Amino acid sequence: MSYFFQIVVSGIVVGSIYALAALGLVLVYKSSRVANFAHGQIIAAGAFITFFLTVNVGVPILFSFLASMIITFFLAMSVERIFLRRLIGEPIISVIMVTIGLASIIDGLIFITPFGTENFSFPHFLPQTPLSLGGVSISWTQLVGVIITFILIGAFSWFFKKSTIGISMRAVSDDQFGAMSVGISVPRVFGLAWATAGLSAAAAGCIIGNITGLNFETLQAFGIIVFPVVILGGLDSILGAVVAGIIMGLIQQFASGYLDGNFGLNGTGDVMPYIILLIILLFKPHGLFGVHEIERV
Amino acid sequence: MKIKNILWLNAVLVLIVMFAVTAPVNAGGKVYKLGLSLAITGPTSDAGNPYAKGVEDYFKFANETKILGEDTIDCTIRDDQYKTDITKRNFEEYLDEGIVMYLNYSTGSTLGLKRDFEEEKIAVLPASYHAGNIDNSNYIFLPVASYSEQLVALSEYVVKNHKGGKAKVAMFIHPSAFGRGPVDDAKKAVAAGLNMEIIEVVEHGKDLDNSAMLKRLMSKDVQYVLCHTVQSPVATMLKDSSRLGLTAETYGEKGKLTFLGVHYTGGNDLIALAPDACEGYFWTCSFNLTSEKGEGTTKQLALAKLYGRDDKAANSHNYAAGIMVAQVTTETIKRVKAKGKKVTKENCYNELNAMNGANAYHPYTTMGPVTYSKTDRAGVDMLQIYSVQGGVFKKIGTPIQSEYMKKIK
Repeated sequence: MSYFFQIVVSGIVVGSIYALAALGLVLVYKSSRVANFAHGQIIAAGAFITFFLTVNVGVPILFSFLASMIITFFLAMSVERIFLRRLIGEPIISVIMVTIGLASIIDGLIFITPFGTENFSFPHFLPQTPLSLGGVSISWTQLVGVIITFILIGAFSWFFKKSTIGISMRAVSDDQFGAMSVGISVPRVFGLAWATAGLSAAAAGCIIGNITGLNFETLQAFGIIVFPVVILGGLDSILGAVVAGIIMGLIQQFASGYLDGNFGLNGTGDVMPYIILLIILLFKPHGLFGVHEIERV
Repeated sequence: MKIKNILWLNAVLVLIVMFAVTAPVNAGGKVYKLGLSLAITGPTSDAGNPYAKGVEDYFKFANETKILGEDTIDCTIRDDQYKTDITKRNFEEYLDEGIVMYLNYSTGSTLGLKRDFEEEKIAVLPASYHAGNIDNSNYIFLPVASYSEQLVALSEYVVKNHKGGKAKVAMFIHPSAFGRGPVDDAKKAVAAGLNMEIIEVVEHGKDLDNSAMLKRLMSKDVQYVLCHTVQSPVATMLKDSSRLGLTAETYGEKGKLTFLGVHYTGGNDLIALAPDACEGYFWTCSFNLTSEKGEGTTKQLALAKLYGRDDKAANSHNYAAGIMVAQVTTETIKRVKAKGKKVTKENCYNELNAMNGANAYHPYTTMGPVTYSKTDRAGVDMLQIYSVQGGVFKKIGTPIQSEYMKKIK
């Protein structure tokens, strides 16, 4: 039975981290209807900034973590200001192409530094002995990762529901011209959406980097790995990202735990989430929490 | 008369210009062109980057210390970002420049360009040790024992040192031709009598938690996990195993998992990714490591210092691998010259094939000599087993060679 519960715990841990990594994609999509293909690079950048501040500058890791979120907040905001602001009103595909170009530029910049081609790991800052209960084990890194994920997701949910800026962002997401007509600054909202996405990406990068070690290819791959989570959740729903993340994490772990190695199957942990995604999308084409927009003409 | 004078003057000027341009080249001896295309950026660049530095430094050293007398080597190194189409374009441009040998990198591009190498009849030394590279190929020379040979040798090591009945192993492999290739050879070795049972072959993904997989292996009484992939997934798995308390503290500890791996799973990159969790990890490699002092590693570190390389590059086994292919290439050209032959693609190829017996070459970077022939396309056959002890890889025993690989070939 502990095997079953270990899989459940692992699934929730993995799913929560997926949800956090997906959050940045959701935030950008929610305000601008753009899929950001440079998200993985921002995740990696956040992890490397934290490492640099901690190891090379000697800042305590908690402050490095917060500083990296602030830095990527302004970094992502600058990216939006320099590259994407002038594309407001242009076809979405143009903006998406710019994000692909942006991914290449950030790749290039990271490869100029040692972080592009060398491997590192964060210094230990949490107890090394895992928490165990009834044969179920969870490391402190995983536990702290899950807690940070839920704090950030809770904060963002509150922000979108209660704060004036959050409501402005939702308004822009629904109808840019309508929002503009009531005095909402669309460029400001876009800048803020990118900035908050950068912030959440940095948090995700630090958590993933703590688990896998700091390898650029591994970290930036998570920008793509979490796309199914975003699609399943409904592209613009924060709650959707959380639920879909945990569903994906659980499916992955259960497939790996019960199907792989049996019935001649292998690698189902990677494939099964996509199969389930396709099946769910057959019945709910807008994802679990996506909005079905009806356009009246 | 006037026009005739001008023509004479022009002709003299042309001769002077020609002499001025060609004179320095003649004075400095011949220049032999080589080319290397590899991933300096992009996937696997953690290996490609120090590899490129090794190649660059050794050729610089060879030219400066006049290993080839007045002649020099001009090796163009280009980044292909691990993309076969770019590798092909680089290779074709190198051919136009008149290269006499070619240094390649990845398994995918080596397999993809195999036919081109045959058509161009040019000797190639890749950084991929995939056994499939040399199938149906006359021109690809693996610098060291193939991944298959390494995995089979590691399996033999498991069997030899296992106490009790049949050793139960799982394979943890990269989901690609690079990862899958050697598994078939390990299965053949088992069929040929190697006393172990392959319980499961796991093709990993980008896993954040391997708990389910590790516990499943435990439930099947697996005792050894043989890895053939890159460092990052191994690091995550080792951390999970350590957290779950499943890692063996001593080799083959009952009820625990002993982890072992092939070339690209180990080295300082693994230690950097999983500093504590990789303790006790066993690894095969054909190169000398700087964590074990010796004449070869002293020379390697001196070379790195000479050209201002940082500690990470200087101590990387990929840096050693880069030096090694440059050493073999330089030695080949030197031998062609010593025989009074012209340094051409054909003569270099023939010289590589003659590198055996008394003519075997002993680079300072490897565990054993480099031997090639028409039927032997793997350079260094000796493998050293290393294990992480106190945060560094330490030698376990003396170099070994796979016995079963000869049986199944």
